[in-house]
Amino acid sequence: MREKQKNVPKKLLAIIMVIFLLTMCSLAVRAAAEEPAAQDELAFLSEKGTRIGVGSGSIQEVLVNELYPDADIYYYDKFQGYIALEQGKLDAYIYDKKQMELAVKNGQKGVRVLDSTIGDPIRIALGISKTSAIPDLEAQVNRFIETAQADGTMDELYDRWINKGDFTMPEIERPASPKYHLTVGTTGDVEPYSFYQGETLTGFDIELMYRLAAWLDADIDFQVFSWDSIVPGLQSGKADIIASNLQISPERAAEITFSTPLYEEKNGIMVRDEFGASRESFLSALSSSFEKTFIREDRYKLFLSGIFTTLLITVLSILFGTALGFLVYMACRNGNKAANFIARIFVWLIQGMPVVVLLMILYYVIFSDANISGTAVAIVSFTLVFGAGVFGMLTTSVGAIDKGQTEAAYALGYSDLRTFFRIILPQAVPHFLPSYKGEIIGLIKATSIVGYIAVQDLTKMGDIIRGRTYEAFFPLIAVAVIYFILGGLLTFIVDRIEIGTDPKRRKKERILKGVKTND
Amino acid sequence: MIELRHLKKEYDIVTPLKDVSVTINDGDVISIIGPSGTGKSTLIRCINLLEKPTSGQILLNGEDITARGYDIKKARRKMGMVFQSFNLFGHLTVIENIMLAPMDLLHKGKQETYDKGMELLHRVGLAEKALSYPDELSGGQKQRVAIARTLCMDPEVILLDEPTSALDPTMVSEVQAVIKDLSRSGKTMMIVTHEMNFARSISNRVFYMDDGGIYEDGTPEQIFEDPQKERTKRFIRKLKVFEKDIVGANYDFIVFDSELEKYLQMNDVAPATKYRIRLVIEELTRQILFPVLPDPQIHVVTEYSIIDGSCEITVIYAGKQFDINDTANELSLNLLKKTTDSIRYSYAEGEERPNRVEIRLN
Repeated sequence: MREKQKNVPKKLLAIIMVIFLLTMCSLAVRAAAEEPAAQDELAFLSEKGTRIGVGSGSIQEVLVNELYPDADIYYYDKFQGYIALEQGKLDAYIYDKKQMELAVKNGQKGVRVLDSTIGDPIRIALGISKTSAIPDLEAQVNRFIETAQADGTMDELYDRWINKGDFTMPEIERPASPKYHLTVGTTGDVEPYSFYQGETLTGFDIELMYRLAAWLDADIDFQVFSWDSIVPGLQSGKADIIASNLQISPERAAEITFSTPLYEEKNGIMVRDEFGASRESFLSALSSSFEKTFIREDRYKLFLSGIFTTLLITVLSILFGTALGFLVYMACRNGNKAANFIARIFVWLIQGMPVVVLLMILYYVIFSDANISGTAVAIVSFTLVFGAGVFGMLTTSVGAIDKGQTEAAYALGYSDLRTFFRIILPQAVPHFLPSYKGEIIGLIKATSIVGYIAVQDLTKMGDIIRGRTYEAFFPLIAVAVIYFILGGLLTFIVDRIEIGTDPKRRKKERILKGVKTND
Repeated sequence: MIELRHLKKEYDIVTPLKDVSVTINDGDVISIIGPSGTGKSTLIRCINLLEKPTSGQILLNGEDITARGYDIKKARRKMGMVFQSFNLFGHLTVIENIMLAPMDLLHKGKQETYDKGMELLHRVGLAEKALSYPDELSGGQKQRVAIARTLCMDPEVILLDEPTSALDPTMVSEVQAVIKDLSRSGKTMMIVTHEMNFARSISNRVFYMDDGGIYEDGTPEQIFEDPQKERTKRFIRKLKVFEKDIVGANYDFIVFDSELEKYLQMNDVAPATKYRIRLVIEELTRQILFPVLPDPQIHVVTEYSIIDGSCEITVIYAGKQFDINDTANELSLNLLKKTTDSIRYSYAEGEERPNRVEIRLN
């Protein structure tokens, strides 16, 4: 080595030395920072500045505030919490002990669950809608739970799904001519309670719900919500019942009705376990990640269905949004004061708020009663957003065309409308398309928030799969790559249109089609 | 035939056309000249209603095209327009620019329109550019295509709004040649232009526009050789004018001198002429007139022609009849006579300032 280095210019050597020193320093600092106390298993939690992760609005948050007032609280969903812990961003994560144990068992690396438990037991229950079409739903559900607990069904279910980890979903007889329709909201990302095996929703809660539906004489369908939106989903009447290993927290209890508890769990503490970190080589880790993310249980089908939903929302929003923006522009282009005023308000409203807020307002407020699917609401929202964008782009690109073009057409005897379509628009389109392409890329990325309203798009599917594989890196990168490809595909199509509509690329034969020339 | 009746065009700040009434006969080739900002373009753009007149009527072959409900598109198809900035349609080839409107609006066949378009392109000398795009042409070529585009609609009237103003000087002549050719075709034409010689050679009628309307209307000979009205004269001879009142016995001549100096300098008057102009005014006003006028009220007008460097100084003053040739100040009078080419005195009874002295310097 030294022999070789002598040949390297001194400057480069110096740079390498500096980089080496910096790396060493940062490693030393990190090592010093990550030394949790070991004697009393829980003593470190009381220290000032301990970084504890909890779910936002959870009972664990209340608990940590009470027991460890000196700790710094960080809000993480459980999967993000596990990964944050693994990566040293947290010192401890506090949650349902059973679930954390399952996560470790199922392959979450670099963390371990302590034996101790803290606080009162967690009660797990179902959330019940007050406005359901099924009469007296709360009482009926409670009676069902009582029966199931009395005859041992509940224990059998718990033992099979949660203790034994037997993930076979039994056939449950569905009523032939059901009296009611039961819509169940769930998250689909919490194994073994509500999770996907391949494309099928399974788990403890799911089986329980099938049994409840049969007991109620009801047909059943599932709506998959994100954790942030499952409670609003129930409140706004998008679901009759929500079931997803829900803990009765004071905050939730204030907002929705819970059933009698199904069972109780305990609060556990997860900490970092450096020795448990993965020691696989990069390549074999990669191939195992690939297998887990795409192949196992045919998970690629989830991705395909997510891609389909994302594309459906994007493409329809592009088409409708373009039409909407164009119509609004046509109404405004001659300076009609009322139309311009309305358009200004429209653009101001749509562009003034985050799309996710618009989406939730439409889903949970405006269309809360209507029986409209989340996908349709997503299409409506993004149509509005895209339409506002198209309107703006049309205004600028048409404004870029010299006024003389209009005058020349008028002077030849063209009507106003014909001038626009024959002379102005064809020249505005080349100004319009580049920003239009940008808007499309923006749109396809923006659709990634539809998980908030129970739509299972590509991002949501990535989350669901992450919930099974306990990996942050691979599904995220896979989702990113797919977005790149989809965006590339759509821009490619617009590129084709751009070439197709460019008047200067027309062939001579096409220009003089049907004309005899002398040359 | 186009008749304008009491045409008025008012903007927020200016009123370029106050009250214009004129008749344009079939076959007239009219040049519209005049200083900038006098409504030449406004007039021509009002005729095909690209500018909407504030009031007044425009009659095309007896039909009031300003009437409510009149379909102006019909009138516009009979009145071609050529713009200063060409305004060729950028997304279409030259031949398509020419063919578009006849096919769209007159529903002519494609072959027929193509043949006619090519014939027109031959006429303006651009047949080989038929499949070029406007941005591949020079300014002069663009304007010739624009003329061909207008002609392909077979208009009765052609309006040309400063067709050569935006052109490089080297390209002016090629466009002028095409317009000149056009002017012999018998079509009614109106052309706004700054090129006097060109205007003179193509038109049978000239409108000199000033003061919110058509200030003088006549044949090119009348307007260019013997204009009747003051402003026309000044414009045609490119006269630069300096006007000033000298009033009161305590008049501040320092201000007068500095303003005169500024005027002479701005118009690049030759030093010798400058000296003579100053001398004449000083001797006349201060040495000859001031001593004899008890309450001096003198009006001085200096008109300097940029074309030939000649100068006319007119001095009128109030008071009893007083011929400067009768002055007691012979020294000044002699000086005056030696410096100038002619001195003429006249007296107009009854006017506010009846005495008038006209002096010429060549």
